[in-house]
Amino acid sequence: MCRIAGMIDFELPAAINQLTVENMCALQKHGGPDDGGIFVSQNEQLILGNRRLSLLDLSSDGHMPMAYLNRFFITYNGEIYNYKSLKTELLHLGHQFSNQTDTEVILAAFAQWGPLSFNRLKGMFAFALYDQQENELYLVRDTAGIKPLYYSSNTNGLVFASEVRAFQAAETKPANNPAWPIYLLAYGHIPEPVSTLQNVQSLPKGFYLKYELHTRSVSIQSFAHYSFSNQISDATEANQLVAQQLEQAVEQHLLADAPIGVFLSGGLDSGIIAALASKYKNKDLNSLSIYFEEKAYSEKEYQDILIEHLQCNAYQLLLNESAFNQSFPSILNDMDMPSCDGINTWFISKYAADNGLKAVLSGVGGDELFGGYPSFNRMGKAILLQNLPGFINQIGKKSKYKRLNRMSYLQLDGLKGLYLFLRGNFTPHDIAQQLGAYETDVWNIVNDMPILQDMPCLDDKNKASWVEFNMYMQNQLLRDSDVMSMIHGVEIRVPFLDDQVIRLANSIQPETKYAGALPKQFLIDAFVDDLPNAIWNRPKMGFSFPFAKWLSNSEYVKALMENGNEQSNKNFQNFLSGKMHWSHMMSLVILNHRKAI
Amino acid sequence: MNNSKKIVFLTLKVFAATGGIEKVCRVAGKALYERAVVNKSKLLINSMYDQQCDADENKYFPSEIFSGFGEAKISFILSSVRAGILADTVIMSHINLLLVGWLIKLINPKVKLILFAHGIEIWGSVGFKKKHMLPCIDVFVPVSNFTAKKIMDVHHVHEDKIKVLNNCLDPFMPLGKEFSDKAVVREKYGFKKEDIILFTLSRLSSKERYKGYDKVLEALVKVKQQFSNVKYLIAGSYDIEEKRYIDEMSKKLHLEDAVILSGFVPEEDLVAYFSMADIYVMPSMKEGFGIVFIEAMFYGLPVIAGNKDGSVDALRNGELGTLVDPLDVDAIEKSLLSLLYNLETSAPDKAVLLHHFSFTQYKRNLERILNGTKPASAN
Repeated sequence: MCRIAGMIDFELPAAINQLTVENMCALQKHGGPDDGGIFVSQNEQLILGNRRLSLLDLSSDGHMPMAYLNRFFITYNGEIYNYKSLKTELLHLGHQFSNQTDTEVILAAFAQWGPLSFNRLKGMFAFALYDQQENELYLVRDTAGIKPLYYSSNTNGLVFASEVRAFQAAETKPANNPAWPIYLLAYGHIPEPVSTLQNVQSLPKGFYLKYELHTRSVSIQSFAHYSFSNQISDATEANQLVAQQLEQAVEQHLLADAPIGVFLSGGLDSGIIAALASKYKNKDLNSLSIYFEEKAYSEKEYQDILIEHLQCNAYQLLLNESAFNQSFPSILNDMDMPSCDGINTWFISKYAADNGLKAVLSGVGGDELFGGYPSFNRMGKAILLQNLPGFINQIGKKSKYKRLNRMSYLQLDGLKGLYLFLRGNFTPHDIAQQLGAYETDVWNIVNDMPILQDMPCLDDKNKASWVEFNMYMQNQLLRDSDVMSMIHGVEIRVPFLDDQVIRLANSIQPETKYAGALPKQFLIDAFVDDLPNAIWNRPKMGFSFPFAKWLSNSEYVKALMENGNEQSNKNFQNFLSGKMHWSHMMSLVILNHRKAI
Repeated sequence: MNNSKKIVFLTLKVFAATGGIEKVCRVAGKALYERAVVNKSKLLINSMYDQQCDADENKYFPSEIFSGFGEAKISFILSSVRAGILADTVIMSHINLLLVGWLIKLINPKVKLILFAHGIEIWGSVGFKKKHMLPCIDVFVPVSNFTAKKIMDVHHVHEDKIKVLNNCLDPFMPLGKEFSDKAVVREKYGFKKEDIILFTLSRLSSKERYKGYDKVLEALVKVKQQFSNVKYLIAGSYDIEEKRYIDEMSKKLHLEDAVILSGFVPEEDLVAYFSMADIYVMPSMKEGFGIVFIEAMFYGLPVIAGNKDGSVDALRNGELGTLVDPLDVDAIEKSLLSLLYNLETSAPDKAVLLHHFSFTQYKRNLERILNGTKPASAN
């Protein structure tokens, strides 16, 4: 796990470009504290940069950018969990290796299979691979989109990095994207492929970008994707397969030469991951949890039950309001792109780093694959509402009730309208008011991007799974997990997003996968023997903080909002008097913080 | 940059068959899907004959954007017309879908209609109804210049409405480095190291005997006199009548030991077959394009093809391989001998091959077609 950056440039001297890439790496140094390196191609038109966080082969042999056959060069961020079996296959085919890293396996696999090698890599990854002989650069991103990769291309070349902030070091700094506040207020995050900078976008997951330096041409191609099917209908068979596959995934995700742990929220998904991990780590399993003094939000009771059950080496952090207040401004600065979530991940990652852990397993993905959100039950009704005449959905436009208010989003076509109705933050009417913009312009921008395909044959609950996986998880949970963990030099691993687990879950027919009285009953049935009853037979709490109270007491928030414009002041007063939800307040705080920088 | 914001791609079969047209539909579907993601536009793919589950786990595009109607023709037509009238562009992969396009154009004349044309399905005259509907097409996209000329000559379509889009190599074709040792692969498939293998990949049907393997057999008689170690491997499923025909012919020509009919070869074994062969020969007469030629050349095989059909495009007018009169046995024999005497230096130029027939190039050509034309109604 590392941070990467690089560029192709045909105009400026190599020395200037090298300095630019070094600066881009320096801006991402938090994600790669152990080592750093730069590669300059023979023709001096291409520079690759890397900051390394070592987890496999901790020696200097893992230094990046890494070369293979003095022809292929790579700067890489991620983990390939099947690298050992690939290595065996490649050894059999006559390849030789000089170190124990998965990085060298990526290079040898490319030498053997070309771009078809990308689909053989199982894990989370974003890398830039340069073939010096063909003078071609490949930017590649994993199929589940776990690792980020942003790029900007123009006639003079290409710039890429793991984080948007790195582009600040570019010789010609990209302009701000004036539309980002609209996306933040509508979604609570910036949805891919949009970024806060103009002409900087994320590479789509499961795609690679090929840059041919001799013709200066760019092509973007898909190498893998996930789709739903109804291949498995038998519940017992499906349960057994998921139990086996997830256990295998957890075993592979525990692979590390550095200390590793699991997040334990007290909920079902992280409980399953911890229970499976404990089979391989026994009492050496490190668990990390956060709890609060505020009983309504604290899951300590359930964490304690799990810790007792698993007999693991538990780290439990009591997070209180003063610690939150102390760190909140830093957290806002540490965000790469604005997001109204991720604060929880920031704290628990810091706690992991403070306790010497370098990688932590998380339960992200369980809710999206197996129906853990209310949206799974609401999707069918939302579709019915969307098919009503447009004016009906406009009725609640100015309502103070969030859900009635969000009905206006149903005038947007297809899944985007449904997602924003179910998950949206502010409506275009309110966004226009907040930003002093025309409502029509807001609608146009929200309508413009991202584009979600129509999926006429997809079952309603699978539609919910699709949007949760590809929108909420992709743009919020995974981005927050990546950025907020890397800021502390910790790697978050997500076994539910193992390639085989996703493919298996997607091949189970909805009537089987989403059946049962409780949310994720399917997962409960698959792991009923591994977990205490109290863990699955309980109300869902998510992983939320007592934000309403903490934000309203925060001096920093008070100063930020009161020093803002009239609207900002009004917002704060509305929040204090209970007329505004904390998640809305959080978006506005982030917005004001960014403006104040 | 993005003239075609919503595209509906109508097909007969994409996954339920393994022929050339289905191959084109899979690759075109992938190209259109990637275009939709990169250009931030919408795409819907409808298939009249595929079942929805035929698209499960396909590598080319997510099955969510695909609807298989499983022969429910009325439902296919209604759904396609409904989606098509709201689209900017509708692409029909076959002339048999003309009715759907015509209905779409009738309701919404602003929709741009594109028709893919492959080969024999459009080379001859069509019935009265199709003839009446053909003018609704804005752009004809034939796979070769040969098919383009047929469209102009037979259907009297102006050349301005025709944009040739050559087929391309499937991007999922393996590089085949595992099979780089010819001797090892040959041994596995029962050949000798010193054999010289001529290869044809074709379905063998007594009803459509136009691939030219019978002419190759005739040419082989004299070739064997100079190269006794030559074998002729014909791969592909066959009907009993055709097998009998080839067996009898081989016997008559005393070539029983030299001719091998392998029967059906699974897609994943094809790399091995191409890798162990020395020459790909198929002097066919009715190729719309002949994807197999570019596949053979991708694996380094020199190619002999007919000069009377779309094969001329696949071989770049002879730049990449040898074009012969498919009915001239002497010419086939001479080109075989010429290649056999110069086997070491006859490999096609891979850079030229990829420059013209890579998937990346296909996407660029497709993009130009989608962006470079205006609907007829706007003219």
